[in-house]
Amino acid sequence: MIVARGLTKTYGPKVAVDGLSFTVEPGRVTGFLGPNGAGKSTTMRMVLGLDRPTAGTVTVNGRSYADSPAPLREVGALLEARALHPGRTARNHLRWLAASNGIPRTRIDEVLDLVGLSSVADQRVGRFSLGMGQRLGIAVALLGEPPVVVLDEPVNGLDPEGIRWVRTLGRDLAGQGRTVLVSSHLMSEMALTADHLVVVGRGRMLADCSMAQFIADHAASYVRVRSPRTADVATLLRQRGLDVERHGEELRVQGLDAAGIGELVGTAGLHLHELTLVRSSLEDAFMTLTADSVEYSAGSASAAPEAQATR
Amino acid sequence: MIDTVSLDPARHVPGVRQPGFGNTLQAEWLKFWTVRSTRWSVGLLFLLGAGLTTLVCWAAAGEIAGGGTRESPASFLTWGLLFSQLTALALGALVITSEYGTGMIRASFAAVPRRGAVLAAKALVVSGTLFVAGLVTAAVGYLGGDWFLDREGVGVPLSEDGVLRALLGNGLYLAGLGLFALGLGLLVRHTAAALTIGMALVLVVSNLAYALPGTWGEWVAKLMPGNAGGAVAQVVPFSGGGVLSPWTGFSVFAAEAALVLAIGYLTLRRRDA
Repeated sequence: MIVARGLTKTYGPKVAVDGLSFTVEPGRVTGFLGPNGAGKSTTMRMVLGLDRPTAGTVTVNGRSYADSPAPLREVGALLEARALHPGRTARNHLRWLAASNGIPRTRIDEVLDLVGLSSVADQRVGRFSLGMGQRLGIAVALLGEPPVVVLDEPVNGLDPEGIRWVRTLGRDLAGQGRTVLVSSHLMSEMALTADHLVVVGRGRMLADCSMAQFIADHAASYVRVRSPRTADVATLLRQRGLDVERHGEELRVQGLDAAGIGELVGTAGLHLHELTLVRSSLEDAFMTLTADSVEYSAGSASAAPEAQATR
Repeated sequence: MIDTVSLDPARHVPGVRQPGFGNTLQAEWLKFWTVRSTRWSVGLLFLLGAGLTTLVCWAAAGEIAGGGTRESPASFLTWGLLFSQLTALALGALVITSEYGTGMIRASFAAVPRRGAVLAAKALVVSGTLFVAGLVTAAVGYLGGDWFLDREGVGVPLSEDGVLRALLGNGLYLAGLGLFALGLGLLVRHTAAALTIGMALVLVVSNLAYALPGTWGEWVAKLMPGNAGGAVAQVVPFSGGGVLSPWTGFSVFAAEAALVLAIGYLTLRRRDA
């Protein structure tokens, strides 16, 4: 379990992480989501005691990471795939890590096998592709069989097979009762793996809820209804207890599917000009949520106008 | 597939003892020897150190014996030190700057959050290696060089005053240089910068300081790390500049290295990795 309380990190005048409080529970995959520069990596470095928080605390299994007697057996982390010396072989990289925490050497072959790097274990990692480096980073994270696993952007550079493998791995680890925190800047990726979401933008907390809740809150769907007699249709639907919002000549109706609404309106003898189910994607929902907090955006300020309309 | 691990209350794999400083030391030893730069540096240190001493004694034995150099023959027995100290600086700096350069430092401190322990282990590994390398290099250089000097009748027997001290001093001086460079590396976190500063302080500025005027200039020169520390590693120093007595000089040098290392440690503790 990872518990952050009021976690804050400033670099001079720039606030990278701004009072984050969240709990990462065991037994499920928690997605740590936010655009680039939102403070995800800084937060993860603070979890591992690498960066000192300006204010606030973060504990892993009830104590700060630095107080762990054998941290690699408590928390396994993939921070950056390239946090290794290019001249060292994959096996030697794992050897010193295992030695530092008293992890049995037999575990090295196990994790190499697990991430599929056995055949290149004795090659220098400088020759590794981005994806191979990422796999080695995951091997490092799993080396100590830790109950807490932290993966920063694990699918970066992986091929589709690798991406699928990481998803399954995350779910398996959580299924074994481990605490799994996975960061990403891709909502679509999170949608497939995470049970719980922590969404940040510009260092601030934007959402901390279950995936189901996030979908209900931010990716809601409605039925768009147009009719020559807008007012009458609205009155009729409201009488039936439906949630009706009027936007000009358009009604946005929630609480009943398109077929049901069509039957209601038809039975009342009113004409319909449009009856459309509008569903915003999770990607849109994420864009809307973080639109104001994207640090480096390309030109256009409105990231997803359609999705914004749904809120 | 992943094997299931039960989460015991102690949160650790059952039946495995808690790692201690021995593990940190073992990890640093593995790190040190599993990159090529270490093997290259140690190999060069030996080749340049022992090889150049032998080569110079072979080439100059006649003149040395004839008094043409106006130097003591014993001075030439550690001639290669001039070059082996460069590799010692490089090894000491690289042990920390290569980690900052590659991002490895984060993996190191994630594995062992006690930064002081990591630094102590690095210091032990680099100074231990350099002590042995310095001792062996000096001994082989002495044997090779003295063989040629002896043929010209100006050999310096092992029993002569200062010879054994100089051999031991080579190990100590190179170990000290490694720690000095490690401290510099901690401060600047950049290989080229650490090496430039280290070489400048130990070699260039140390020599230039002899050009300073007056008594204060002489003292500055004597206290420069290269001049103060180098004396212990030479049987008889070359003439051309006053140096402190071997052990006084080495004490000064050791204090300087310790100071740089201590400042490096203090910044390391406070800094984000």
